[in-house]
Amino acid sequence: MFALVVFVLLVLAAAIGGPLAAWWTGHSPDAQYPNALSSGGLPLGIMQRTYLPNGISHNPHGGLFVLGSDALGRDVLVRVLYGARISLLVAGGATALALVIGVSLGLLAGYFGGWIDGIVNRFTETAMAFPNLLLAVALAVVVGPGLLNVVVIIAFFTWYYPARIVRSATVAAKEMTFVAAARTMGARPRRILVVHLLPQVWGPLLVYATSIVANNIIFEASLSYLGVGVPQPTPSWGQMLSDAVTSGLYQVDLSLAVVPGVALVLTMLCFNLLGDGLHDALDPKASRR
Amino acid sequence: MRRKIVQRLGGAFVQVIMVSILTWFLFFVVARFTGASPAARIAGRTATASQIALVAKIYGLNKPYWQQYLIFMGHLLHGNFGFSAVQQLPVSTILWPALRVTASLVFGAALLWTIVSAPIGAFGALRPHSLGDVLSRALSVIGMSIPVFWLAPMVSYLFAFEPTQGRFLGIPLGGHHSIFPITGYVDFGVNPVEWAYHLILPWMTLAIGFAAVYIRYIRAMSAEQLGEDYTRTAKAKGASTARILLRHVGRNLLPTLTVLLGADVAYALTGVFFVETIFNLPGVGYQGVSAILNLDYPVITGVVIVSAIVAVLANALVDILHVVLDPRLRRVGTS
Repeated sequence: MFALVVFVLLVLAAAIGGPLAAWWTGHSPDAQYPNALSSGGLPLGIMQRTYLPNGISHNPHGGLFVLGSDALGRDVLVRVLYGARISLLVAGGATALALVIGVSLGLLAGYFGGWIDGIVNRFTETAMAFPNLLLAVALAVVVGPGLLNVVVIIAFFTWYYPARIVRSATVAAKEMTFVAAARTMGARPRRILVVHLLPQVWGPLLVYATSIVANNIIFEASLSYLGVGVPQPTPSWGQMLSDAVTSGLYQVDLSLAVVPGVALVLTMLCFNLLGDGLHDALDPKASRR
Repeated sequence: MRRKIVQRLGGAFVQVIMVSILTWFLFFVVARFTGASPAARIAGRTATASQIALVAKIYGLNKPYWQQYLIFMGHLLHGNFGFSAVQQLPVSTILWPALRVTASLVFGAALLWTIVSAPIGAFGALRPHSLGDVLSRALSVIGMSIPVFWLAPMVSYLFAFEPTQGRFLGIPLGGHHSIFPITGYVDFGVNPVEWAYHLILPWMTLAIGFAAVYIRYIRAMSAEQLGEDYTRTAKAKGASTARILLRHVGRNLLPTLTVLLGADVAYALTGVFFVETIFNLPGVGYQGVSAILNLDYPVITGVVIVSAIVAVLANALVDILHVVLDPRLRRVGTS
């Protein structure tokens, strides 16, 4: 239940939260507000209003920064809500791309076997043997930061998980009578794969997809944290966190690290619980031991 | 058994080759089409045209790709990882001491998360749906959801930085205290106590996420074993719970756990990137991150290839250990 509520909130935040907060506060996510920094250059704390021109006392009629401002005087609330959009967009896009590649290769490998299976298996085994974030970082460094780059890079290093699952599900399903029946009736391989086998693998894949999305959110945040992900000034949680941490500013104003961090943790929690729930619902054997 | 081990080592060899091809492909072929030439990248941003030409000559960058790869591999096999223009040091001189630090961090953390999660997971399996079980499962879901790059600054702030400001969790301590060191590393050979003292927080940070996952693994696997006939027999014969868990269930979990540990030690090599930068431990991850920030390509290449090879070898090693530990796999004629 909790997971579902957070999930709905998250999707809402991603869809309308950013613009809504921007409209309500009148702050755009990328704009820097000089009066949101003190005379010493320190950002605003939670629920503080902008400074008077002297940079020391707060203006009682100034703009309210609900979650404070960051080192450049930008509104943290607006940025963290826009960050939800980037997180879900990148993770969702990368997962969709990984699923398309993984499902296609998994179906082909599982159904035809032989050399296709051999190649796909060697690839997935090797890919799983070493930490994918490392090579993703290497690729990102070489290719350079960019929204589309990040999506492609993440998909490139995650397609083999769905591929393995789909392959084993296909191997199990292709021995069933209805596939043999379809084959005797003259169905071509493409029809068997798409119409008969694909629906068989959706169940295990759905459970897995939620955990892939969760992993990809962390993946995107890690890349952005290392400065090779979504480029500035687009707000992303990983980058907000690294801005606060690498500058050491979080030791002065902890909320700069807490806000994007809590957003990440809640999102992860939601996807993990959602995955557990789906797993229990779709696999009655594994539940309630 | 010997045949299996040889087979696995052969597989590891193929994987190492594939890793080297992939890394080479990234840094020498993909790099060519996405911005500066590989030679200019290796030579560094301040390099002159003649220095770039020299790098191109050393790496044979004007030759066909297959020759470039062989030259690259030749350098690697001689332990030559190139020269860092940023640090003005050979990459191998940077990486070998760093590997020691990272090994301390990763193995210590692996030991910690195993020791912590084994009893908690076993308890959950023994008393399902008890308060302790519900609590530990809730905590493990939360632990799984905390990314290490957020946990690291938080742990550093709460346990190392805040006490020096006279507070802990916002509560005044009445005076400034330095409970844990904020940064730094002392080599084990210099002072083992200081070594452990400086690594406690990094170990904890790296271990929490893995401990969360292992509690779930161990709980699920122990529950399965406790439902088996052999544990019932042992119980009927009057064996104590401790004996059943250690001698029977534990022995059956050992091979699987070893394999999981190997894979996760390899996986932890990405976590060290964040933990080492926050706690200023001069390990492979720290070198990697600063190399990324400085676009120090030879070091990045070295870090990637060394970590990937370590990961492949760790996986191969535990697979071999698995055969040794699980007598069922030793029988001739089974695959």
